[in-house]
Amino acid sequence: MKILAYGSGLFFLLLGAALLTCPAVMAGQGSVLERIHGAEEPFDSMEIESVQQLTLKTVAAKESYQGGEFRVLARKEFISRFRCSVCHTEKPMLAQDGVLFTHSDIRINHGRAGDALICIECHHEKERDFLVDSQGRKIDFDHSYQLCGKCHFRQKRDWIGGAHGKRETYWAGERVVRNCTSCHNPHSPAFAKKMPETYSLPLDE
Amino acid sequence: MDNRNKEEGQIKKDDPIKRKSTRRSFMKGLSLAAAAGSAGLVTGGCGDSATAEEMGLKWEEYFKTNYRLMTQEEKDETVARLEKLAKLRYDLDVKVSTQEPLERVLYGYAFNISRCKGYMDCVEACVKENNLDRKSKTQYIRLFEMEPGQLDPTSGEGKYFHEVPVDNKFYMGVQCFHCENAPCIKACPTKATWQEPDGIVVVDYDWCIGCRYCLAACPYWGRRFNWGEPEVPREEITKKQHYLGNRMRMKGVMEKCTFCIQRTRDGKLPACAEACPTGSRVFGNLLDPDSEIRFVLENKKVFRFKEELGTDPKFWYFMD
Repeated sequence: MKILAYGSGLFFLLLGAALLTCPAVMAGQGSVLERIHGAEEPFDSMEIESVQQLTLKTVAAKESYQGGEFRVLARKEFISRFRCSVCHTEKPMLAQDGVLFTHSDIRINHGRAGDALICIECHHEKERDFLVDSQGRKIDFDHSYQLCGKCHFRQKRDWIGGAHGKRETYWAGERVVRNCTSCHNPHSPAFAKKMPETYSLPLDE
Repeated sequence: MDNRNKEEGQIKKDDPIKRKSTRRSFMKGLSLAAAAGSAGLVTGGCGDSATAEEMGLKWEEYFKTNYRLMTQEEKDETVARLEKLAKLRYDLDVKVSTQEPLERVLYGYAFNISRCKGYMDCVEACVKENNLDRKSKTQYIRLFEMEPGQLDPTSGEGKYFHEVPVDNKFYMGVQCFHCENAPCIKACPTKATWQEPDGIVVVDYDWCIGCRYCLAACPYWGRRFNWGEPEVPREEITKKQHYLGNRMRMKGVMEKCTFCIQRTRDGKLPACAEACPTGSRVFGNLLDPDSEIRFVLENKKVFRFKEELGTDPKFWYFMD
């Protein structure tokens, strides 16, 4: 009799355990993490036909991300006075034009407090149409991430992978991301304070 | 497949005996006659044909089925009616899409709490894109200014009327998390809300009875109810719409974030992710091992809000 009671107890225990695990089995697909771990095959988002070519000018990045090659927004056409070598010549100039020509509007707020960067730490001293790194290598303005990444290497790693920065318009199709200088003003890279666009109600309202 | 459908269509047309007569189609026929009659009564024969047409269309709309049970033909019919109604009501050429989910796509979202500056551009972009009611100030996204160390957005302040970012505060956005095991779906008594194959939790606004059980069931306050007729200025209406997304809602129905289904199924980023000036919002395909969202999940410190509830949200917060 006692054995029977134990037996039936065990039976109900097993039944209960089976019922408890049932919903997970019935869900079939499993949790999000299981589905993510199960998805290792490459996905070709180029097949999505509704993705259209961007109207913005882009250049092929000189880096590659986990999905291969990608593109970045071009920078040079947004620099209002590019090419720099148009003004930066050997020609003498009048002192009274200095205010207009010497970038007096630029305030450098980049680098440690009290030890801000100076122009030629990023700009090439001789070839003014290029940037320069600490080893003296010329860097194109469209590929400024090569220079920024020299100090901000953690951000560059995240930018290449996709945890820093922004994709432009589409999540699918050929990957186009913004350049460092598309969002950050290189002379004052921190985002400015501003008033919020709107406000939010408390969650339980 | 197409051929067979065509043949069936042919049979229906040619052979009246074989024509399928359902209760629904019978009621529809009956109701159309009634609508024509009542429209005539209301307008009093003033010759206001637009009103009669509008009423006829609205009446027909009552007899459509749940979106998930519709054939493509029925979807096309209701879309045509909705577009015509928008034309009559707002004099706007809206385009209502019934774009199906993309294959091998599961949408996921990540929010960088160490980058967000609290500008709220995302909230504004969402309101405009999704035709949200301006009168009651409906918003899908809520953004809170948080004390360091706090990770519960109920402790945050949403009404910060000062310049942001403020030193030693951080900002946290909350919206529908499109849970894989969503309590709102289980709570719905009419099956008016469900999860699409691409992971988006949607609402069939015409099937919702407005009981608000889903609102009570959601532990994230992700759902919004239309207490009144939603009002959007005509010139601000987003004309590219989706049946399960930003098409005009009506009084007494539930609505929520749809990851901008009308954009994302075309390969675009949701409006919030596109509007964010700080790059705090990462969106992509969780089933693509090379996607940005997968990079975030594999390389950053991530957490999900109220993960212990087992709702399995597809929305992660992360830190640099």
